[in-house]
Amino acid sequence: MLNFPAWKVSLISLALLWGAMMALPNLFSDGFLGIKPRETVSTDPVEQARINAQLAEAEASWWPGIMPTSKLNLGLDLRGGVYLLMEIDPSEVVANQYESFRSDIRDAWRQRGEREQIIHSPDPIFTEDGRMIYQLRDPSERIGISEEEQMEDALRRARRVIPTIGTGQTDMFSINEGLNNTIVIDVPAGARNELTRKARNDMMITIRNRLDPNGVAEIQITPQGDNRIILEAPGEADPKRIKDNLSRDGRLTFNMAEGSESALRAAQQTGSARPGFELIQSMDPNDRPILINKIPEIEGSDIASANRCPDPDTNLPAVCFRLNSSAARKFYDLTATNRGRLFSIVLDGMNMSSPRINDPIPGGNVIITGNFTVEQAEDLAAIIAAGELAAKPQFIEERTVGPQLGRESIQAGSRASMIGIILVGVFMMLAYGLIGGFAVGSLVANIILIVGALSGLGATLTLPGIAGIILTIGMAVDANVIVFERIREEQRSGRSPATAIQAGYERAFSAILDANVTTFIAASILYLVGAGPVKGFAVTLAIGILTSVFTAFVVTRWFTSVYLRTMRPKRLAI
Amino acid sequence: MLLRLWPEETEVAFMSFRMIAVIISVSALLASAALLATRGLNLGIDFAGGSVIEIVEPEGVTPADVREVVETAGITGDIVINSARSTGENATNLEVIRFKTQAPREGENAEAAQQNANNRARAALTEAFGDPTLDAEEAEEALIRSSAAVGPKVSGELFRAGITALVTALALMMVYISFRFQWQYAVGAVAALFHDVILTMGIFSLTGFEFNLATIAALLTIVGYSMNDTVIVFDRVREEARKYKKLELSKVVDLAVNATMSRTLLTSGTTLLALLSIFLFGGDVLRGMSFGLIFGVIVGTYSSIFVASAVLLFLGIDRGDKPKREVEGFTGV
Repeated sequence: MLNFPAWKVSLISLALLWGAMMALPNLFSDGFLGIKPRETVSTDPVEQARINAQLAEAEASWWPGIMPTSKLNLGLDLRGGVYLLMEIDPSEVVANQYESFRSDIRDAWRQRGEREQIIHSPDPIFTEDGRMIYQLRDPSERIGISEEEQMEDALRRARRVIPTIGTGQTDMFSINEGLNNTIVIDVPAGARNELTRKARNDMMITIRNRLDPNGVAEIQITPQGDNRIILEAPGEADPKRIKDNLSRDGRLTFNMAEGSESALRAAQQTGSARPGFELIQSMDPNDRPILINKIPEIEGSDIASANRCPDPDTNLPAVCFRLNSSAARKFYDLTATNRGRLFSIVLDGMNMSSPRINDPIPGGNVIITGNFTVEQAEDLAAIIAAGELAAKPQFIEERTVGPQLGRESIQAGSRASMIGIILVGVFMMLAYGLIGGFAVGSLVANIILIVGALSGLGATLTLPGIAGIILTIGMAVDANVIVFERIREEQRSGRSPATAIQAGYERAFSAILDANVTTFIAASILYLVGAGPVKGFAVTLAIGILTSVFTAFVVTRWFTSVYLRTMRPKRLAI
Repeated sequence: MLLRLWPEETEVAFMSFRMIAVIISVSALLASAALLATRGLNLGIDFAGGSVIEIVEPEGVTPADVREVVETAGITGDIVINSARSTGENATNLEVIRFKTQAPREGENAEAAQQNANNRARAALTEAFGDPTLDAEEAEEALIRSSAAVGPKVSGELFRAGITALVTALALMMVYISFRFQWQYAVGAVAALFHDVILTMGIFSLTGFEFNLATIAALLTIVGYSMNDTVIVFDRVREEARKYKKLELSKVVDLAVNATMSRTLLTSGTTLLALLSIFLFGGDVLRGMSFGLIFGVIVGTYSSIFVASAVLLFLGIDRGDKPKREVEGFTGV
């Protein structure tokens, strides 16, 4: 047991060296490798990110390329930032699907003449438990068709247009005959889950595009369960801007608008528009409400790109966007045939802009001006470019930590660690003398390994995680203590130092194994159920258990054997 | 001369005190249960839902002023305001505002009610106390150090997850110990764990420290630590029982406890030193957690001797001449 052949020594050294290498980048100041947020030089985030990268590269140019560069990943409680947990309501996702299925099914049932219509009314009934029901026409109103024939015809036509979803190509809807000459459309449970998951995944992409259109922010968006999304934005201190941004549907349409004064006044007085039209408010409170044609000409999915740009007349921030080629052609035709009329750009049921068409507009380039701040114009452009959210997110948990509190937590955590290490170290030396010193040496190796493993794994260090490291320091000496106590006993019963140490390690092994396996079980469960900072605690605890068994059992023993061979003591002072 | 926390080669008859220990443990357990039933736990927002907002105390502002602002923001129910002080250089006075789950207003659901209430409170505080020379967003950032709003749905789930974690951990450890030792050991060890967990929850009820997710982490760590301690003693019991086959079991347990006492005290000592440094220097966020851990380490050390071993003594162990079931290979002896 005390014999360390060269290959063992080199393996141990390699492990320690690896830990030290992985831990090394953490020794450098905040600025090293571009971790520290820099002073803003440019208002353009892409430009700023490029400058940051350049500065970081210049600063780190002396650093050998083969050396690791990743540092400890600090949690939101240490860096400051916003944590948001949001949920999608599956029934809303389903309702959206019904909404888009309605026009397909209407087309499927469309007949040439009024007398041949299959359904009683184009508007279905929605039930509490999420089904959509169409009432068929009384067959007596139609010529030459029986009730059975009509039902069969309606079902056949409707089933032909059922869309499928997912890799399994499951039908999104089940369509069946209901009571009293009705057709019942339902979303089966499997399709419902698939839809929710898909909506969540689409939403994660939309959220990313909205909040980080340039791909330079360190925003983390992770799914939780089937219908939840966790959003973590380090460095962001204002949850309101994020929430506002995500609370907007982002549904953008171009609609023709009614230009006549009398029609508008009539609608305003009665409070309702004539069929096919809708009265909507304008974003600028100084502008009047506007009467728009309900059916849009161009939709949000027709937009190729959007960004903030200066208004060519006033140089104030505005939003420019470009339509894709087919929509651009459509827009040209629209403007060519509707000279002199108004059209409206509508975002989430609000008129953003309602210019009069003077000339046909080629190219599909559109600009929205208004009283925007730079930030508002940027957010609006990102919303337009990212497109519509698959569902409205419901925020159910919000945690915000300011940068000052984060800094203080880091300070408090590091101070507590330093003091903890010193106290434990002094205590061990007092209790076990020189061999206690070896244990302190392996304790230092242990901390380096923990930091190295955390950096290498990209695990997140939280404040409870720091507590986990300190606790591990206290508990890591346990394995050493168990061995040392055994060595004391063996020496007392008359064994020589070498055999006492040998027997001490052998006898202590089963106790150390059992004790650490049980603690490891606790840490793993904590990892599985814990959230955020607590997960960080579990990770450091688990890594700490592995490294402390290694350091106590291998590193301390190695130190001790080197001491035995070189000093050849007659008796161990232990 | 090296430090000795425990003299060498002692023969203290620990098990003869076991009736006294039973009385102490049972009364402590009853007291804890009574406290939990009557006073209950001071559940944090992780488990109870609600909001916590921590602000830098503006010059000359009293907690009553803060309360008034929060009330004008339309927050209903209990509003608790505590003064605190930040750590480190440039320490400032802080006010910590807590309010419980808010009833939904017109057109809101329960989840939105909490989030909106939190937004209103933040906005009202910024308007009342924020630095007027800054724009709204910067003023809010400078004033509000942290805030959290947990809706009723999430808090319920977190609570269930916490309880599930504790129960699963206990069950898995019981299985592991049954596998490595005998079932009597497992029962003794788990009895000690329940003892520790209930007493620690009792002390949280007594002191009114906030019971939150970090406390669950502390409880699970106590479970791990106490188990660790118990295993060390049991490992020795197993060894001594094998060595002295004819010796009375209570004597065997005494031998094992005496032999491991020095280690028990040293490990508890170093762990407590580390925890004490977190408790004293780790800041407010970690205080409740480290308090729970300190208490748990002390109780866990006691329970591994007087609860786990006493239960083992009561149940007896299998010492027949059957082939040994322990995995000898691990020890290498």
